[in-house]
Amino acid sequence: MTHTLHRVGTLEELKKDYIIFIMAERGYNLEGSKEKYQEFVRKAQELGAIKIGDALHGNILSQKGLDNLLENITDQAAPLHAIFNDEEKLKEMLKWLKEIDLGISAVISGLADHVHKCCQEVGISRHTVEHSLGRWGRIEKLPTEEVLKVNTMCGHQMVTVGMIKKAVEDIKAGRISPEKAADELYVSCACGVFNTERAAKLLKSMAE
Amino acid sequence: MKIDKDLCIDCGNCLIYCPVDAILEEAGVIDIDFNECVECGNCLRMSNCPTDAIYSQEMEYPRIIRAVMSDPYVVAPNTGIPGRGTAEIKTNDVTGRFKRGWIGMAVELGRPITGVWLSDVEKVAMAISKHGMDFETINPVTAMMQDAKVGKFKDELLKEKVLSAILEFAVEPEKIPALLKTLEEVQKEVNCVFCVDIASRCNPDLSVPHEEIVAKTGHWISLNAKTNLGLGKPLVKED
Repeated sequence: MTHTLHRVGTLEELKKDYIIFIMAERGYNLEGSKEKYQEFVRKAQELGAIKIGDALHGNILSQKGLDNLLENITDQAAPLHAIFNDEEKLKEMLKWLKEIDLGISAVISGLADHVHKCCQEVGISRHTVEHSLGRWGRIEKLPTEEVLKVNTMCGHQMVTVGMIKKAVEDIKAGRISPEKAADELYVSCACGVFNTERAAKLLKSMAE
Repeated sequence: MKIDKDLCIDCGNCLIYCPVDAILEEAGVIDIDFNECVECGNCLRMSNCPTDAIYSQEMEYPRIIRAVMSDPYVVAPNTGIPGRGTAEIKTNDVTGRFKRGWIGMAVELGRPITGVWLSDVEKVAMAISKHGMDFETINPVTAMMQDAKVGKFKDELLKEKVLSAILEFAVEPEKIPALLKTLEEVQKEVNCVFCVDIASRCNPDLSVPHEEIVAKTGHWISLNAKTNLGLGKPLVKED
């Protein structure tokens, strides 16, 4: 159901972790969505999105740059995502979305109350909201909270525990910077929703 | 996924890329536990194998289900959506999947970390189906059921393992407390982790109906959420 909903983090960490995405739906507004997705991506880039990803074709790093990402977009029922670390930038994106009126669904994944406030400030009335009720079952099998914070930023679990532990070891040994390690982890996150800025801080803290 | 043993030099570079630890090293020899592999393709895409020894073997039904539910690049045939094939609230402003007066729920089995055998997914589906809800039809997991009314899966699928499988449905608000109670019980019977989601169409005053319901049951609810902004067109007509 949800590739960004179950992110683990403190209030302070989540204040810098917002994903905004748009998605067309088969049988409703799929036709002509390619250009709308492209407009969205260009605006997100202009506003300083941390990273951008296409759930169907891969993220900005796996596709080796913005030009390829833009070119590969199709009329698709798969979202385009942009990550922001700042509510003001998010609000700018919201203002733009309201004005440009792309006509395809837009969703923000992030702190519910903060998102609601941002929406109200720009005159958008939230439509539907979805929360996580947490992790159930054999939770004793889960890794530490810190590892889980990094792992759950890729909802499809392509940033594995082994990759995270290796990144921490490499940072500790001085073989790689936290920022570069976060970018390397990001490549495997197909949708591109893995927040590399947040990940770099977490990896650095785990390596200390 | 398989490893061509004629090519593999047992360097172990691929070990860290498996999300379910299905790539094993035994006495210096690397191989994939085919039964545990969920066919997500992460090792093939990411490990940069120096001899190109990792390959995706031909997959037929039922094994292909593993790739559909685990590889984010595979598009689910019955929904046309990649990454486990669900749209849920993302487009609720145009589809009206979750209407006012109903609560949307999902049980995401296998995530994070553990993956899940479909026999465990069936266990949960059968337990919650007793509350008389309909599983979402535009969902690849519902398509795996032989009898969706009772949550019974097709027998040939029960021995398949996937990275995650999402049971999705809408229920009347008054059923939520009993449903959560059922999940509390059935969680003891499965060998995986699962996440639970709850969603609803906002009230006219923009409050969120399920927040009050969850507060009454005393369950933990996340600070973060997914918010559909209602900007899609045509906007669903509501009664």
